[in-house]
Amino acid sequence: MSVTLDKRPVPEDVPADIVEDELQRQRRGRQLRYAGVTVALGVLAFGVFVVTMMVGSYRLTGEQVLRSIFGVGSTPEVDFIVLELRLPVATAGFAVGLALGVAGTLFQRLLRNPLASPDFVGVSSGASLTAVTGIVILNAQDITVPALALGGALVSSVLMYLLAFKDGISGYRFILIGIGVSAFMSGLVSYVITRGTLHDAREAMHWLVGSVGLSGETETRLLVVALVVLLPLTAALSTQLRSLELGDDSARALGTRVQLAHLALIAISVALTGLATAAAGPIAFVALVAGPVANRLLGPAAGGVLAAGFVGATLLMSADLVAVHMFPAELPTGVVTGLVGAPYLLWLLATSNKEGAGG
Amino acid sequence: MSLSVADSAAESKTRRSRLRVPTLGGGLLVLLGALVVTVFLSVALGSRSISPLDVLNAFTHLDRSVSTDGTVTLEMRVPRTLLGILVGAALGASGAILQGVTRNPLADPGIMGVNAGAAAAIVVAIALFDLHGVSGYLWFAFGGAIGATLLVYAVASLGRGGASPLKLALAGAAVTAALTSLTSAVLMTDDVVLDEMRFWQVGSLAGRYLPIFYSVAPFLLVGLAASLLCGWALNGLALGDDTARALGLRVGQVRVLMFAVVAVLCGAATAACGPIVFVGLVAPHLARLICGPDYRWILPYSMLLSPLLLLLCDILGRLLISPGELQVGVVLGVLGAPFFIALVRYGRLAEL
Amino acid sequence: MTLRTCFALIAALLLTACGVANNESKDASDSKDGTWTFVDGSGETVTVDHTPKRIIAHAGPAAVLMSYGIKPVGIYGDESVKTDPNLQDVDLDGVTILGEEWGSIDVEKAAGLDPDLIVADWWPAEKAHSGLESGVKAKSKKLAELAPVVGASQGASILELAEGYEKLAASLGADVDDPELAADKKRFEEAKTRFEEATAAKPGLTALAVSPADDLLYVANPKYAPELLDFQSWGLDVINPDSPDKGFPYWENVSWENADKYQPDILLLDSRTFDDSLAKARKQPTWNTIKAAKAEAVVNWPAYWLHSYGHYADALDQLAADIEKADENIGD
Repeated sequence: MSVTLDKRPVPEDVPADIVEDELQRQRRGRQLRYAGVTVALGVLAFGVFVVTMMVGSYRLTGEQVLRSIFGVGSTPEVDFIVLELRLPVATAGFAVGLALGVAGTLFQRLLRNPLASPDFVGVSSGASLTAVTGIVILNAQDITVPALALGGALVSSVLMYLLAFKDGISGYRFILIGIGVSAFMSGLVSYVITRGTLHDAREAMHWLVGSVGLSGETETRLLVVALVVLLPLTAALSTQLRSLELGDDSARALGTRVQLAHLALIAISVALTGLATAAAGPIAFVALVAGPVANRLLGPAAGGVLAAGFVGATLLMSADLVAVHMFPAELPTGVVTGLVGAPYLLWLLATSNKEGAGG
Repeated sequence: MSLSVADSAAESKTRRSRLRVPTLGGGLLVLLGALVVTVFLSVALGSRSISPLDVLNAFTHLDRSVSTDGTVTLEMRVPRTLLGILVGAALGASGAILQGVTRNPLADPGIMGVNAGAAAAIVVAIALFDLHGVSGYLWFAFGGAIGATLLVYAVASLGRGGASPLKLALAGAAVTAALTSLTSAVLMTDDVVLDEMRFWQVGSLAGRYLPIFYSVAPFLLVGLAASLLCGWALNGLALGDDTARALGLRVGQVRVLMFAVVAVLCGAATAACGPIVFVGLVAPHLARLICGPDYRWILPYSMLLSPLLLLLCDILGRLLISPGELQVGVVLGVLGAPFFIALVRYGRLAEL
Repeated sequence: MTLRTCFALIAALLLTACGVANNESKDASDSKDGTWTFVDGSGETVTVDHTPKRIIAHAGPAAVLMSYGIKPVGIYGDESVKTDPNLQDVDLDGVTILGEEWGSIDVEKAAGLDPDLIVADWWPAEKAHSGLESGVKAKSKKLAELAPVVGASQGASILELAEGYEKLAASLGADVDDPELAADKKRFEEAKTRFEEATAAKPGLTALAVSPADDLLYVANPKYAPELLDFQSWGLDVINPDSPDKGFPYWENVSWENADKYQPDILLLDSRTFDDSLAKARKQPTWNTIKAAKAEAVVNWPAYWLHSYGHYADALDQLAADIEKADENIGD
């Protein structure tokens, strides 16, 4: 398996100045496509965001929803339904999806492997474990829960890094160890749940499968704040990320600033994953899928972090729409993302063209 | 590799293993002794404190076991322990066979999605066809197990490089995720199924009494007997398909037969106890550590080591949060994962 | 726990209950300026600027209110309205159903009903009203933002519930002296007398309320089950489990291996799931180590759902008959 990055060969036997022109033309085209696709995906994500607030026991029009959100000429009844009931869930969906999409694509690019997404390799389950331990055993509340989730995400990533480090980090070893760490953490989550007085199976399901509908307001608010702060930072660092993609060796030549950028970006992904998990539990596959989908749309401009975030948000909100409204009973969001994401992963494996001997 | 080299290699291996027969045979006896001790512990320990003497008493007064201690010992702990032995042996044997057939050290009924397949099929059987009780959905469990095995193996085999350890593990993880989602979707929309599956889903020996034992025991025993016969063929496959063919092995047919044995073993085990992971991975590796690459030894060793591990984890689960108990599936998930990680980190994954 | 401390506890609980009831009779009234007040089971006084007309109620209180002629605009329950024991023989025409599963209330639909009062039992152990307990989705809990929530407390006695809802109905303008209701009350008094006579005739009779599940045998803690407290105060020795679960004190969790820990003369089994529970229990080899189970002295327990004199009369009558037939020496 390998990342199918678009690396078209530069035509040979062409005069140097023509190559230079061609390269510049390509770069401009990339920038245009990048901006266009990102804006289009942003509009799409916002569209789904509005749609999730239109459906429910009361059908609302898009206009009603928008009027209510922006406070222009709405009725109290609509305001209650939109602002009190639907907006918190929709915001959680948008934020969690955005965070997972961004974190996933960062992980995949830094580890140069399409399978290296934080949900697949145990960062989410680490966050789950500390959050659920906090709730069940320490009676943690409010801000402590996301803080614990953040710590769990951090600890499990450091743990994985240490376990996988052997003369450098091999992407495949990292992933396999991630699967192991993930199984370990999930086992412990089940243990903690049986230990506690969390008598309610529903709440347990939240921490095992992940569901947007159960996210608390503190967690969502914290995640939104984190996104507002971290996304611009990510965008600034992501120009440096481009050079990183040339490979560790060539990047090293650019100096320690790049290594710092590397570390900062990993830290951002881990933080976003931890906070997203604190809000909605370990929702699988969104982080895995968002990056590749965005890259396909971006074509030669592949690697847009914000585009991946918007894809993540669109996917997550759509999955939640399906989970909540299309079945006889409301399902956790993670059930739908699992049903959709797993076949994608299988397809990825089946069409992969490189022998993954691992080790 | 030329045939003569393979021959002489096989010959020297045979000679070596012949020399090791007393040692390895003795080892089996030691394991058997350890298993007997564990079995006694499994019967003696539990949330009710029954003295070892009373446990023995229960066995010597079979005909008039009217005391509660007798009932608990004979009707609750003994069936559970017997089931633990058979299910453990079945998972260990399936793990060994899967590792041999796929020539992949990470193959395990849990990791390869076999248990998840059986579980999903059982949930569907209850929800759609209104089948109840282990004997009702046993055949669905077989079907689900074999379906998932084939799917995982097929996906992992596609593309260049064949079914590498990495691809097998990933395909297994993906299939498990998809099937688990399906299982949860059915469970959460159907209260009747949820009620029946709530305790089963975690993977546990608790609450499994004689009726369940009787309905799966024949399948497990036949499967175990059949798997003991697989040793020779697995040794052949270990030399590579071409060499195996040259030795007169019909590789395709052998693979199909072995997958069928695995499906019966895992299907029955899962139907009885729910999905239990990692024991099928760990036991064959320990067996290989003790007795080298000869599957004729690996298989019986796995069949003893695996129930030993399963029962020990089950006992641990009973002691950890006494007077409640922790499902053995959870204990194995926590204890097995570090083993898996060590295997990835230190094991030579490309070869078996 | 000795019988004496047990009675002391009940007396204490009854006293608190009376205290609350007295408050209610003082405060639950239409004051002159048209505002409506009621003292909730939690002890808080709820005020609305008019007498509430559009009520959303939990299944139990809803049935009681309907028996007083007050029809809620919407109801929500913990199970299907078809099986909910409170809602049998109740005309639900024109009542919007907002939830038929614990923990899930369609607040959007509820908002559309524009309610001015929400009626649900107060659960002292969880410090929450029915449907708003911990573990319920944040979205469902928004129900409480639509209108004030009031209800009688699931405290020391079912009578506290019945009387509490009678007062609530009266404050909402119902005619509580309806002859049919008076007949129910009379029937209840007769059933209670029969129950007391039956228990007095068998002073040694002990009872244990249980809920069998596949993993554990749950033994009910009478302290948090008002009807069991009633039975105790009317002479039935319902066994108090000695180590209820700390986080969820409604039950003691007894492993099936220890099923014989308590040996009552009769077993009380939740009447709503009687057959299923019994089938589940019979799968456990140790079920029959409870002597009462072996003797098939298993009777219906109207668990946690009673709210009205009528329902209580039926249940008490049946239990009294069961006690009259019971053998007080089974568990000895």
